[in-house]
Amino acid sequence: MSSKRASTMPAPLKPPTSLASSLIIAEHASLTGTHLITLGSNTVVHPRARFNSTHAPITVGSNCIICERSSIGFQSEAAANERQGILIENGVVIEVGAVVEARTVGEGTIIEVQAKIGKGAVLGKHCKIGPLCEITEGEVVPDFTVVYGPGMRRLDRSGVEDLKMKMVARQIEVLKKLIPSNLAKFQ
Amino acid sequence: MASFTPYTYFQCPCTDTSTPTRNLGDEQPPETEENSDDERTFDPRAPRSNYSLYPLEHLFYCEDCHQIRCPRCVLDEIVTWYCPNCLFEVPSSTVKSEGNRCTRSCFQCPICVAPLSVSSLEAPPEGLGAELASQQNGPFVLNCAYCMWSSKETGIQFEKPNGIFAQLAKIKNGGEPILTAKDRRKDREERKRDFSGSSAAEESQENEAPINLDPNERLDPESQFSNLKAFYQTQMAESSPVSALGFTGDYGYGSPGALSRIMGLYTGGSYADKKSKTKSGTMREARDALEGLQIDPLSDEDAINKLRTEGWESTASAEQRHEQTTHTPFLSDLRPVAYLLRTKRSKRCKTCRHILSKPESKVQTTRFRIRLVALNYIPSIIIKPLQPILPTASPLLAPLNPVQFLLTFKNPLFDSVKVTLATPAKTPGRFPTKVTVLCPQFEVGANTDVWDEALRDNNTKSSLSGEKRRTKAEASEGQHQAEAGKVWERGRNWVSVVVEVVPPSLRIEDSEWLKSEEMKRDGGEVRDGEEVVEIPVFVRVEWEGEVGGEDSGLGGGGKDKEVREKRELAYWCVLGLGKVDVD
Ligand SMILES: [Zn+2]
Ligand SMILES: [Zn+2]
Ligand SMILES: [Zn+2]
Ligand SMILES: [Zn+2]
Repeated sequence: MSSKRASTMPAPLKPPTSLASSLIIAEHASLTGTHLITLGSNTVVHPRARFNSTHAPITVGSNCIICERSSIGFQSEAAANERQGILIENGVVIEVGAVVEARTVGEGTIIEVQAKIGKGAVLGKHCKIGPLCEITEGEVVPDFTVVYGPGMRRLDRSGVEDLKMKMVARQIEVLKKLIPSNLAKFQ
Repeated sequence: MASFTPYTYFQCPCTDTSTPTRNLGDEQPPETEENSDDERTFDPRAPRSNYSLYPLEHLFYCEDCHQIRCPRCVLDEIVTWYCPNCLFEVPSSTVKSEGNRCTRSCFQCPICVAPLSVSSLEAPPEGLGAELASQQNGPFVLNCAYCMWSSKETGIQFEKPNGIFAQLAKIKNGGEPILTAKDRRKDREERKRDFSGSSAAEESQENEAPINLDPNERLDPESQFSNLKAFYQTQMAESSPVSALGFTGDYGYGSPGALSRIMGLYTGGSYADKKSKTKSGTMREARDALEGLQIDPLSDEDAINKLRTEGWESTASAEQRHEQTTHTPFLSDLRPVAYLLRTKRSKRCKTCRHILSKPESKVQTTRFRIRLVALNYIPSIIIKPLQPILPTASPLLAPLNPVQFLLTFKNPLFDSVKVTLATPAKTPGRFPTKVTVLCPQFEVGANTDVWDEALRDNNTKSSLSGEKRRTKAEASEGQHQAEAGKVWERGRNWVSVVVEVVPPSLRIEDSEWLKSEEMKRDGGEVRDGEEVVEIPVFVRVEWEGEVGGEDSGLGGGGKDKEVREKRELAYWCVLGLGKVDVD
């Protein structure tokens, strides 16, 4: 049904992209919008992950994992301080169904299943936003914050972030073997 | 408030209803004495009713007493103790000696209660042969995958990935070792020997490295308790070597000797002195940390300083502290919480001691060996409004406006049953609902095989008692009005009857009740729960069943399968029909 309807519509415009050569991007990922989308090296983009640069550019660092049905990009007009777009730093994991409208997502942060990051929020380094947790618009979340349960917060002082980054890297190694990449489609 | 799900509660007969309930201070209303036993209605709003009403699913049925049994009239017996995390069955002797927590490696996060997992702090081996490397090497920590708490935050690391419980028992928060109770005992014995002046040579032979404990040591709560306990035990043993009854130590608490000593504490010793002048030593209190005394002025100051520097963020929440066994004001004091063991229980009838429910003792199986649940013995009642409620209409009942509900009785027995319903014409309480059951007596078919029904329908078109079975289509077309004395709809093992209610008006001035004398005493406000239309129904079920197994077995030779006996079961139910619009 949906594929038939899509064929009658004009194909959505391809956004300008700057993709690293070692990027793994699945054929069914969707990149839409008008601003530049930059995806770094060794990053993995699952099928049906959505990037929307209609309102502002998106920059994703290296060694990130962007999972299925997650949505990255502003869904409404960018405010003055949001013009430079969304910056996702290295080693970030965005889990299934998460919605990210943050200005910045710090290094090594994990955004769990179906979490929502409000527009213009700033997440620090090595944060973890738990499943179904929400960060409100424009909120600034300090480094090492763990958001879990019904809005509970704590600082993670375990100091094992290097280990976690290594684990993400290992996960990417596995995903590289599993997900066929189709870089050419998006260039 | 808006939505309301109709409910049915059953009253267990174990509660004594022979004494009418009334509010404290009330005089006995004269009417109740006139009422004969049969006319007494059950008041679902009476303060006691809450304790005897249960959903059918919560009830048992004792086949020997032929009676409903509720959680209040059954006895629980523990079949198995097990850990909910590792499903390991714990023998009850271990539970007695080790306590009711899992002593393997099962822990809950002290921050968020999620299960903790053991992980290595070392990165897993990489490169060639990484898969072959059998085990990760330590140090290991417990960490929570949900809130990312790690035992490293409180300075606890483990050498081995298994037997965490035992390892944790030896480490304080911060990583210092805890002296085990055994080590402490050794130390105590040494001191005793020093005190009594025994030879030092003997000592050094026994243990090569005697531990010398600091009398001003800051103790962890467990050690403090064990020190205190040991100290007072020796004190008691010394002060009353053998009490009058021949008990020593632990057992002396309740003995006359102990009693007189305690009395002595309050009466300045004269009482004790008179009784036991011969007793050698007097008891003294603990003097230092070795004896369990903790005078620690620093700890308060530390706490205040910590609050000053680290603030509110560093304190543990009430829920977190609740899970802990000791006083843990700060997050850094929290310890991983070992999983509480769970039990599988069998249930017995309190009256005849027969087993009503017995689960399979193996932890992994969810089957039951015996399960006499009321659901299999007494007809269930489902409530539905007769006229379908439009989604736009208010779900509340209009006051003083008759509404009809359909009660569907479903028979779980393999014999057909005769059901008789009785309701008070007006429900008890300040705002009485008028109730009419249009068909108070009917028969419900046996719970036979579905195929039997199909075959019988082929042969004789009419069903059981010759009444015409209404089809769903007819009912929805509204061709039928509910008729008095007639069953609304009938199926294989179910029957629907119509009950008509007139909900009360909750306006105080309309209430008849207020015209009575009680008006002066009781305020006018509509109280919580009074807007719910609850109807007490007395259900009497009669059927002819096979004679109980044991009786027929004793008959021996006379194997008469056709021996059937009349059974009767009667109980109160409460039907929650809806809420009245308060306007
Ligand atoms: Zn009972
Ligand atoms: Zn366990
Ligand atoms: Zn946790
Ligand atoms: Zn019984």
